[in-house]
Amino acid sequence: MPDTSTTPSAPSAASKPWTCPFCPLLCDDITLAPTADHRLAAPHTACPRLDASLARFGPNDASQKPQIDGQVTDEKSALSRAAAILSNAHRPLFGGLATDVSGARALYELAAQCGAILDHLHGDTLADSNRALQDRGSFFTTLSEVRSRADLIVVFACEPSRRYPRFFERIASEGRETKFVFIGCDIDKAANAQAESILANADPFDTLALWSALVEGGRPIPTPELVALTERINAAKYTAVIYEPSALPTQHAALAIEALQRIVKAINRTARAGTLALTSDDGAASVNQAITWLSGFPLRTRVAYGLPLDHDAHRYRSETLLQRGEIDALLWVSSFAPEPLPASLDANVPAIILAHPSTAVPARHAPTVFIPVATPGIDSGGHLFRVDTSVVAPLAAARDYALPTVASIASQLAQARRPA
Amino acid sequence: MSVTRLKGGTLYDPANGVDGEKRDIHMRDGRIVADAANESIDRDYDASGMIVMAGGIDLHSHIGGGKTNLSRLLLPEDHRDDPRAVPDRPNEGRYMRLPSCGVCAPGTLATGYRYAEMGYTAAFEPAMIASNARHAHLEMGDTPIIDHGAYVMMGNDELFLQMLAAKEDFERLRDYVGWTIDSSKALGVKVVNPGGISAFKFNQRSLDVDEKHAHYGITPRDVLSTLTRALTELRVPHPLHVHASNLGVPGNIESTIRTMDTADGLPIHLTHIQFHSYGMEGPRKFSSGARAIADAVNARPNVTIDVGQIIFGQTVTASGDTMMQFKNAPMARPRKWVLGDIECDAGCGIVPFKYREQSFVNALQWIIGLEIFLLVDDPWRVSMTTDHPNGAPFTSYPHLIRLLMDKSFRDEQLDKLHADAKTASALSEITREFSLYDIAIITRAGPAKLLGLTDRGHLGAGAAADIAVYRDDDDRERMFTSPAYVFKDGELIARDGTLLATPTGGIHYVRPDYDRAIEKRVREFTQANLATRFENIAIGDDEICACCNGGRLLPVACFASNGS
Repeated sequence: MPDTSTTPSAPSAASKPWTCPFCPLLCDDITLAPTADHRLAAPHTACPRLDASLARFGPNDASQKPQIDGQVTDEKSALSRAAAILSNAHRPLFGGLATDVSGARALYELAAQCGAILDHLHGDTLADSNRALQDRGSFFTTLSEVRSRADLIVVFACEPSRRYPRFFERIASEGRETKFVFIGCDIDKAANAQAESILANADPFDTLALWSALVEGGRPIPTPELVALTERINAAKYTAVIYEPSALPTQHAALAIEALQRIVKAINRTARAGTLALTSDDGAASVNQAITWLSGFPLRTRVAYGLPLDHDAHRYRSETLLQRGEIDALLWVSSFAPEPLPASLDANVPAIILAHPSTAVPARHAPTVFIPVATPGIDSGGHLFRVDTSVVAPLAAARDYALPTVASIASQLAQARRPA
Repeated sequence: MSVTRLKGGTLYDPANGVDGEKRDIHMRDGRIVADAANESIDRDYDASGMIVMAGGIDLHSHIGGGKTNLSRLLLPEDHRDDPRAVPDRPNEGRYMRLPSCGVCAPGTLATGYRYAEMGYTAAFEPAMIASNARHAHLEMGDTPIIDHGAYVMMGNDELFLQMLAAKEDFERLRDYVGWTIDSSKALGVKVVNPGGISAFKFNQRSLDVDEKHAHYGITPRDVLSTLTRALTELRVPHPLHVHASNLGVPGNIESTIRTMDTADGLPIHLTHIQFHSYGMEGPRKFSSGARAIADAVNARPNVTIDVGQIIFGQTVTASGDTMMQFKNAPMARPRKWVLGDIECDAGCGIVPFKYREQSFVNALQWIIGLEIFLLVDDPWRVSMTTDHPNGAPFTSYPHLIRLLMDKSFRDEQLDKLHADAKTASALSEITREFSLYDIAIITRAGPAKLLGLTDRGHLGAGAAADIAVYRDDDDRERMFTSPAYVFKDGELIARDGTLLATPTGGIHYVRPDYDRAIEKRVREFTQANLATRFENIAIGDDEICACCNGGRLLPVACFASNGS
């Protein structure tokens, strides 16, 4: 039951199933229960990632105020200083971008006004996935298809439960036998089903090259494990191939994704299969999708009124821009967790931080504005894309702390810059 | 209350039988009014010598949702090639147009701007997947100026097929259709390759109208007859929107005509029928079936169509028809494609494609589309589409209008094509030229009628003041590219191709009556099969407003009960 006896009010969505915004599985079967010390807890759900995320919220969040250069201030002053930082910037970076669809929508107009470059906290992984798609395409499936249809699940070179603790629970289906094969990795203990591991220590690129030679090239290969696996896939009703882009070898992850997609496409000539990438944490898919539909291009794009859009996944990588000193202001958005500012941010570059209320803002040489913002699904409603980017989940606030949303801050900043 | 007058234009308003009459139009509060002649005029626009029509309505254009955004993601080269990528226009405020680009897969912002510049004021996403409905609405909400709506895809969702296979009561299926429309905020229902998307998930590679689904044992005919009957009983104005079986397959005319007859006389709309009008004659076993299809349409008053005309050039085909798109994938240009099985609900296939004048097949596709336009007698039953972007981007419409209106221009284009295609065609013998009145029917009055939009697509009193005013020009392509004035809800939003305002469009949807007891069945299915909670499926009114960026809710009335 809602607890209205305290100020600020305690978690209020206690009795209703709640959707967790902290990982792209967006589990929607969670019941939040208020704790005696006015914190958020989900006692009936076993998920370390959820527990760790909820632990970052506390009753003090309600009293968090904006800061300018470490001094507490009000929202109006913070907005006005933030606007000044953006007006003086010629080449700002909007980084982090850990927000929801409405945040991305509102930031887009602001970016256009400022000529900003847009990149995400997980921009490297996102760029790998985007590049593989741009170069080759994909053959994908979604969570419900995996849950209801797949009788064979192939996990490629990752341990899903490490970052996505409830993954196996979400695809578990009663009364149906599903078998797991892990390639290039050990069995994930959370799989809890008939599982085996093959080629656990092989180089993933060797494995992909051999597998591709077999299914795409039709050539004999000296790897009986892959031959046997392919036969099992051909005999299965539906195979789901699970991979985790951020767990692939970082140097050439896009090539590995491309190879995997090519293999699955070839398999589909005679059998049925689809891939599911475990990725897009912290709103990565949501922001990438929204920026793509608005502009045409995915993230790592520079947006400016009066200029053609410029998409360049190499040049507009946050880390590179920061290291080379190519930007003169940073707008840092981190609404799901108190992500630290990028280590490579020059102390002389002004920063606007729209972030989780528990963010510890470091003392900096350059002007620095911090505005604590609402976390979608905790302090505000919102929309996030699920891991398969096919389903958009509606989020509901779990408490009623008066923190502004990223969208509202971005809209106010944009509004102030609009010509009369 | 301020009154705007549009003075002295020549009106083409087929819904009201007005064929080229010189009249003034008065607008007040976003509506066309009849009683303002004696009021003071606050704003006056001179339309002397100009052609006045209601705003254009595109009833089949893939403008929002998963496959549209995947198309954008797949084709950065399309956006880099966009000659209109520079957002600034002369005379247009620097901040009028947010950056957005793309030719065949434009961003939502570019989509809205370009439709509006051409005098279109509404476009409808024909293939919204129920499980992807929020995404589709979010994108349409970010498509400025134009009103929008969507048809939800059914007939490949496992629950529908399971209910059909189990021979559950028709009323239950009907209620499930009603619930799906209501919960996804749809304007109608589309079926794509009836049963075929699901069959492909069970590794079935083809499915003819009377062939059995490998797993459920039902046929596309069962799906079609159930859905047409359900929509009729739910009194949904838009007939079942059908992407028929065997898309692109030579010889598919026969199954296309059988598809028409599955409706058993009830209203049925066959979309992008050009792709379903192929014969098997001649040395290449590929020929025009346009005459047979046109005859079939002419003989069946319950059938409406849109054409899905192809126009030569680079585009991308984005379809729910995974079965057929997988077959087409080797033809992808550039060589990349996306296919997906989605949520026990549907699927999507995205295959970039370049239509070439020197390809026999492509040339004949172009010919077939035009033949269908010209051979179907009743323009009220034909809507103009290119199945954006599958046949061509919607920005090809002015060119297509010229092809329909100008026989000599059409012949000139025909001469550029693969010689054998021209020989195999009857197009050069068809002398029909569309009049402005005909164009007004196939681009606004007809689609509005077919969608149940009683206050759109015409210029009578009470209609929304969505109006396009064109400078009369013998070059109809130039004429329809940049109207002199475009009004949206009474506001002048574009002048000679220059945007003046970018209001947020509204959403059209229907809210049919059905028995909510069906929710129990859907809930059980969801719990047993899906990775989504039942309570999170339906989109409420407040939520749809947020998705649509605060655009107006424009509920479309269902047909009145006939008392039976």
